[in-house]
Amino acid sequence: MCDSCGCDLPTDHDHNHEHAPEIIKVHQSLLAANDAIAAENKAHFEAMGIVAINMISSPGSGKTTLLEKTIERLKGKIRIGVIEGDIETDRDAQRIRAKGVPVVQMTTGGACHLDAAQIHKGLHLLEKEPGGDKLDLLFIENVGNLVCPATFDLGEHQRVVLVSVPEGPDKPAKYPKAFISSQIFVITKIDLLPYFDFPVAEAKADALHLNPRLQVMALSATSGEGFEAWIDYLEAVMR
Amino acid sequence: MHEMSLVQALLAQLATLAAEHNKKRVITVTLDIGPLSGVVIDSFQFGFDILSAENSLTREAKLIIINPPATYQCIRCGHRQSSLVRPDHCPECDETLLIPEGGDGIILNQVEME
Repeated sequence: MCDSCGCDLPTDHDHNHEHAPEIIKVHQSLLAANDAIAAENKAHFEAMGIVAINMISSPGSGKTTLLEKTIERLKGKIRIGVIEGDIETDRDAQRIRAKGVPVVQMTTGGACHLDAAQIHKGLHLLEKEPGGDKLDLLFIENVGNLVCPATFDLGEHQRVVLVSVPEGPDKPAKYPKAFISSQIFVITKIDLLPYFDFPVAEAKADALHLNPRLQVMALSATSGEGFEAWIDYLEAVMR
Repeated sequence: MHEMSLVQALLAQLATLAAEHNKKRVITVTLDIGPLSGVVIDSFQFGFDILSAENSLTREAKLIIINPPATYQCIRCGHRQSSLVRPDHCPECDETLLIPEGGDGIILNQVEME
């Protein structure tokens, strides 16, 4: 092959000749590379007996608070680990570490989502944390963003989308992909319902309109209202 | 703006294909981007314009994006309909709960190279 122009002729020829255009059929997803790593992650989770849950929401919807309360409730019964995704800082990881479970912080340095390769790396980092090599349940707290994380499979078993009461009930209608691709929709901060116009039934109906298979629950991690349904769900997916 | 990550994945696939087929220049790239893929096509095009200019393989490449419809199946009667926008109800039985099928692909369909 010619090193200069890449054609099949021997090296010693002039490069004025035309290289004929060729149409190459590909039919491969742009996410193929991500999805291949996601499949490896899933196989790894299953070999280790881990159930992995990918949590997707806007910034400030209460993902970390829900995790803190979940760890407090289940610690000692279920071995929990957490991979935190944020653009900058390890503040969320510090909050989780304070609860005494293995956690790693993946900072994306500007990227708006976690991808499967970051979870692969995060999983190996987690295994070096005390207790991180023997887990029952892995929470992946995605970068706060209701749009981009929905496109990237991480190899998780369950995808949870969260919307807090102050954000308003129109999020399912406005950000459909996150709701179509999730199994559970959690409405958080319901202790604030008296102060905001958030018709829970309307938000549920909008979400079910997009994805009739979606399981919907409403809770407050601070007051504890509705929290048992979340714990029941976690115990059910671990069976 | 995850479209930038997707454009990077596309350019990596194009580089691999060019190497496999001994090609030096991409002329056209044809993609199928479904209505439920979560991709903003203008943002994808914008990202492609910027990143494709960075190397000689793709500098002159033209992007052709096809937007195939998704299929929606009625949860009650099973009727299927194809649409680019989510239908409000089933035309057969008026049910409003419809399950989307497909339409979430971001597929590199074919490449013309020389």
